[in-house]
Amino acid sequence: MDALITAFELPFMARALLILVVLSLVAGLVGVLVNLRGLEFISDGLTHAVFPGIVIGFVWGGRDGLFVGAMVAALAAAVVLTVIVRRAVTSDAAIAIVFTAMFSVGIIVVSRETNFVGQLDSLLFGRLLTVSDVEVDQAVVVCLIALAIVGFTIKEQVFRAFDLEGARAAGYRPLVLDILLNVAIALVVVAASNAVGNLLVLAVLIVPGAVARLVTNRLWLLFPVAAGFAILAAWVGLALGYAASVNGGVDLPSGATVVLLLVAGYVLALGARLGIDRLGVGRIGGPRRSRLRAEQGAL
Amino acid sequence: MNVAAALRVAAASFAYGAEPALTGIDFTVFPGQAVALIGPNGSGKSTLLKGILGLNTRTTGTIEVLGAWPAPAGYIGYVPQTDQLDPNFPISLEQVVMMGRYRSLGWWRMPAQADRLAVAEALETVGLSSRAKTRFGELSGGQQQRGLLARAVASAPRLLLLDEPFNGLDQVNRDALIETVKRLKQEGVAVLVSTHDLDLARAVCESVLLLNGAQVAFGPRDEVLTLANVQQAFGSVGVEMDTHTIVVPGHGGH
Repeated sequence: MDALITAFELPFMARALLILVVLSLVAGLVGVLVNLRGLEFISDGLTHAVFPGIVIGFVWGGRDGLFVGAMVAALAAAVVLTVIVRRAVTSDAAIAIVFTAMFSVGIIVVSRETNFVGQLDSLLFGRLLTVSDVEVDQAVVVCLIALAIVGFTIKEQVFRAFDLEGARAAGYRPLVLDILLNVAIALVVVAASNAVGNLLVLAVLIVPGAVARLVTNRLWLLFPVAAGFAILAAWVGLALGYAASVNGGVDLPSGATVVLLLVAGYVLALGARLGIDRLGVGRIGGPRRSRLRAEQGAL
Repeated sequence: MNVAAALRVAAASFAYGAEPALTGIDFTVFPGQAVALIGPNGSGKSTLLKGILGLNTRTTGTIEVLGAWPAPAGYIGYVPQTDQLDPNFPISLEQVVMMGRYRSLGWWRMPAQADRLAVAEALETVGLSSRAKTRFGELSGGQQQRGLLARAVASAPRLLLLDEPFNGLDQVNRDALIETVKRLKQEGVAVLVSTHDLDLARAVCESVLLLNGAQVAFGPRDEVLTLANVQQAFGSVGVEMDTHTIVVPGHGGH
């Protein structure tokens, strides 16, 4: 229990917590929109697309190049993605093809750089406890940019998520909103890649939003619930990993521990929601109303 | 008449991609008047509404909304069909209606007291004040339709476009909808409504535009809604009209 407080007296633990708290705030906002728009698969695609950027950036400029490479790849991928989803007949196939291709490019570059292979691990799974001050600063700045992009367009994003046709009719350009949201997702992916790892970013982006949807159906509550839940999981997860290592001698990777806590929270929320629905109180969602089609047949 | 038209469409044609979808459209709606768009499924009713909104390609002709094109922001209120909306979306009726205020608010600003007042008034107009906090997906189809009408009302439009607003509505909701449209007309709003339902046309529309991929007829309601015109628009001599609806053989009654 002490670990919940004492662990963070250590500078590297405090840094890890700081980066996760910032990430949680952004994930709260961006992640809820990902959930409302059903963009989970696109987010998955973006995490793959960032990978070759990271690798090529590293080959080109070492640790510093890594960040630049990730950023360039993420922004390019976000724009390409927005456009192909609009043009393609089935967007899922298009996303999958483009991003598996990009992931393969990354792997080919990695395999040609022998001194890099050892670092592949940390790229994929993160190295939360060894991030430097500079990396924390970078992540915070990138997260703040993503926060600003989504924060300033939040009501339009919700409008577009709820009623595409209506938003269009009101004079909004969905393409612009889509590019902004995808760029924000890409920025979160970049910011989080270093700390929680390329593959585990997804959990931070998707799970809190999904939990919030289970907990409430009040629109503006979704955002603080998602962010609060992510922060809680980060805090407890880091402390748990620390306590296990120090007191129990068990090496518990902190990034993965946080992710597992997020998922455990989701399972808990899902169970609670199912239970409450069974009792018939405060039902969220529900089946699509079968509409009386009175006009059927009669033109 | 020396009144500026709310909507003037002249010799307009519309296309979906390379396919021509609707041709030869020529009509005018004045403030405080309503025009019913009538035609079979696929006759171009939605195409015309989207064309006026600037959402599809116009290949020929002109459209003017209060003398201007494109329509100035906020001049047009659009009420889409409700069945394209996700009933599980976590949003309240009041929040949906507030969307009608977004354009006048601009990108960065959040709603102020004046906007909340406009939303409350719009809900009052459609008779749904008591459901303001209800989740939109929990409302009945008719209430959702009225909710979307309230959203359009909240934007204080000069021209109101309604796409099949009577679909699936019971009598109570039909009456409420008709009352609202009448009231808006009295305030000088011009209305264009696509409908299958002659009740709606008779209750609120002075004029009718008959469509079938092209304009079949436009003019005063009772002059246009002749059996011959309707049979031409619906492409079947078996078409019958009673006081409420147009009955096409093989499709059953209303």
